[in-house]
Amino acid sequence: MPPRVNTEKCDGCRAQDETLCVLICPGDLMALDTGSGKAYCRSERDCWDCMSCVKSCPHGAIETRLPYQLGYYPAKLIPLVGSNKISWTVVDIHGKVERFTFKTRNDD
Amino acid sequence: MPAGIGVYLCRCDGRINEVIDLEGLRSKIGKWKGVSEVRVLTALCRPGDLASVVEDIQAGRVDRLVIGACSPAVHQESFERLAAEDLAPNLLERCNLREQCALAHPGDPAGATTQALALLKMGVARLKAAPGPVIPETTTGNRRVLVVGGGIAGLAAAGNLARGGVEVTVVEKRAWLGGRVAQLHRYYPRGCAPRCGLAVQTERLLQSGRVSVHTLAEVAGVHGTAGNFQVNIRQHPRFIGQECTGCGRCEAVCPVVTDTSRGLPAWRKAVLSPAGSVYPLAYAIDRQACLGPACGKCAAVCPAGAVCMEEDEQSFSVNVSAIVMATGSALYDVAAVENYGYGRLPGVLTSMDLEFLASPDGPTGGRLMRPADERPARRVAFIQCAGSRDCKHLPYCSAICCAVTLKQTRYVRDAYPDAEVTVFYMDMRVTGHLEEMYRQAMDEGTVFIRGNPLAVVRAADTGDLEVVAADSLSGRRVLVGADLVVLAAGLVPEHIADSYHLAKDGAGFVPGHLPCSPTEGRRAGIFAAGTAQGPMDASGAVQSGLAASAECLALLDQGPALVLPLLDKTKCDGCKRCVEECPYGAITLDRDGYPLPSATGCRSCGICQGGCPLRCIHLPGFSTREMAARLAAPAVGGEEVRVIAFLCGNDAYRALDGTVYPVNVLPVAVSCAGAVNMGWINDALLNGWDGVIVAGCRADECHYGHGPDLADSRVAKLQETLRSVMVEAERVQVLTCGIGEGGSLAAALENFVRRLTEMGPSPFKEC
Repeated sequence: MPPRVNTEKCDGCRAQDETLCVLICPGDLMALDTGSGKAYCRSERDCWDCMSCVKSCPHGAIETRLPYQLGYYPAKLIPLVGSNKISWTVVDIHGKVERFTFKTRNDD
Repeated sequence: MPAGIGVYLCRCDGRINEVIDLEGLRSKIGKWKGVSEVRVLTALCRPGDLASVVEDIQAGRVDRLVIGACSPAVHQESFERLAAEDLAPNLLERCNLREQCALAHPGDPAGATTQALALLKMGVARLKAAPGPVIPETTTGNRRVLVVGGGIAGLAAAGNLARGGVEVTVVEKRAWLGGRVAQLHRYYPRGCAPRCGLAVQTERLLQSGRVSVHTLAEVAGVHGTAGNFQVNIRQHPRFIGQECTGCGRCEAVCPVVTDTSRGLPAWRKAVLSPAGSVYPLAYAIDRQACLGPACGKCAAVCPAGAVCMEEDEQSFSVNVSAIVMATGSALYDVAAVENYGYGRLPGVLTSMDLEFLASPDGPTGGRLMRPADERPARRVAFIQCAGSRDCKHLPYCSAICCAVTLKQTRYVRDAYPDAEVTVFYMDMRVTGHLEEMYRQAMDEGTVFIRGNPLAVVRAADTGDLEVVAADSLSGRRVLVGADLVVLAAGLVPEHIADSYHLAKDGAGFVPGHLPCSPTEGRRAGIFAAGTAQGPMDASGAVQSGLAASAECLALLDQGPALVLPLLDKTKCDGCKRCVEECPYGAITLDRDGYPLPSATGCRSCGICQGGCPLRCIHLPGFSTREMAARLAAPAVGGEEVRVIAFLCGNDAYRALDGTVYPVNVLPVAVSCAGAVNMGWINDALLNGWDGVIVAGCRADECHYGHGPDLADSRVAKLQETLRSVMVEAERVQVLTCGIGEGGSLAAALENFVRRLTEMGPSPFKEC
């Protein structure tokens, strides 16, 4: 499901040529709208929910909405990225909240 | 690793160990891995105890230091010297066990001891994660400076720099040096002729042999940063070569006469004379007005063959370490104040017009008379605040106009001792010893009427000028006839291109960051001087030029070592956020596109560190690993509310010293609120801390400009994210605090801990 960019939080990575989400998307699906200065997904059908953009955004401005088969509104899957830990907050359709925290090996 | 971490706990002559059980801490810390020495000493600030620390380092027993003693706000020089001589500064960690621990929890020794243990644990963990020593750099830029503007401020700056051994390039957009001051007849306080002072300044400049002067030259672009600016300069053609002897025959035969009348009748030929200026003594041709080679009269008559119509515009570049912007100002176009009739009624002049009229080079050879009919100006009215302190024109006071008018009443009195001189004012602002000018004017019979005139009109019957005003002190309407009406107009700055990225005020001046950095325009390496900063008189302009030159010299001779941010190129992906957010523009890109902080421009504010999404640029001691280790160190979990507080070293951290605040809060000193990276806050929350505080200065008090604003916007976005992950957004707060407001900071922390206790433990604690 397509990444939704919250235009109030997005600052276009300070209007550089390539924003972080654009740089990291493996499918080259993100783009910077030069008019508004915000990022957007330019081909939503092709997104396969790897959520790299969600994790890389410094302001947490991107959210991928879950496909309805996996979890209808208000279900959510949101990461909180630390330097050597990541915590996934899972909200199911009944509103029950679970968190899964894992060690990552991202720091050197 | 043979050596290890040395932990030195100071009793502070009893102040600390009265409350904190230092011996107990010593036995616990002695068991920690990586700690090779732990000692309790009486007073680390005294030479004896300090020497024993040095001995441990020199003997190779320790190579990283934790000092558990007083606040870093105290005795920092002693420990820094220690660091400089025997240790790299990033391997020294100071734990504030006195002001923020022992003294902060007077009735709670157990709590204070627990807090002390946590602080020391964080310090040790940070040091363990630190890379090796980061040796600070000493650096010098190339010893070249560009001065933009050849007026009195620019000349003062350039002369001073040249005397200091610096190579200076002066770029002036007009054909001659001297700026506005060269157009004055006299200047105060001595009432002497400016040409003398300008001649002295210019000679000093040229005699040094280190200055190259380019007139008719403008800056086309500035690239780079402090220490390494590339400046492109556009050189307009003069059309008259260096052979010119200043004889003036060209001007005499030039057939073009352009009327430039405004308040005063004035005309100009296409060949412009250097009269009034001191350098260079050469004419110049205004190609727009000139008839071109078809006419050729000047070329024909020039004995030196100096006329060259074929000259082209040229460009060249200079590479300099610093730039002084002395671009000056102009008089406000007071024709906009329609009621005063400037440009419409003959005999209404601006103060600059009067300078020209009084000058021997002027239209009447220096005789004060009404140019229209040559009537002697025996009745002169001055209107102060013409278009100033006026919401419809210039809202600000231009500081010098009152003194200028009083100076000009001298011109009138010297010409006609019995003249009727009237000054219409709102407030007479002549400060310091210039008050003497005011007293003298009053003694000589000048009439001062307190009232901003409604209009200047021409009497229908006599054709005389009349000033219509109300005298606010007597309450009566006043009508004063005058031969000349002089409008004391205010100053507006010459336009400085936005591409310089200098911090300008609402009027376009570059006032500097007052009071601490008066010449700084928030762009590293570019210093403003003279009236580009704000309205000031010639003395002030010279002083500000000298101040700017002193700033340049300090920048060029950076003796003391700098703390530069370190970049991890393996992680950097070139997003350039640090370049954009640096408040000084001190980061440029190197050949490979990686950020390169300028050794001469960086102020170690850490804002680049705060904004980097990949946490790959950071000040020494604040790398991702070191901060992660610090945050993971103390036991966080269980019932107790635990808060980590990042406090800015300028205000908030010092304010907290000596206050009483909750033991649950563990303070960490950072260089600026803008230096706090949101990734640290994520780490803190994921490690189970219940709350995070970012405390810094108020937005308009930050020494680095926009640190608090950045902290605010970053935290606001983080709070949004927290809401979406079903965590209370209030767990992260930004507080502002002045250096003396520790009490309210402590109260806010108190409140915060209470709120967190109500909210319950962090949801990440159970993971």
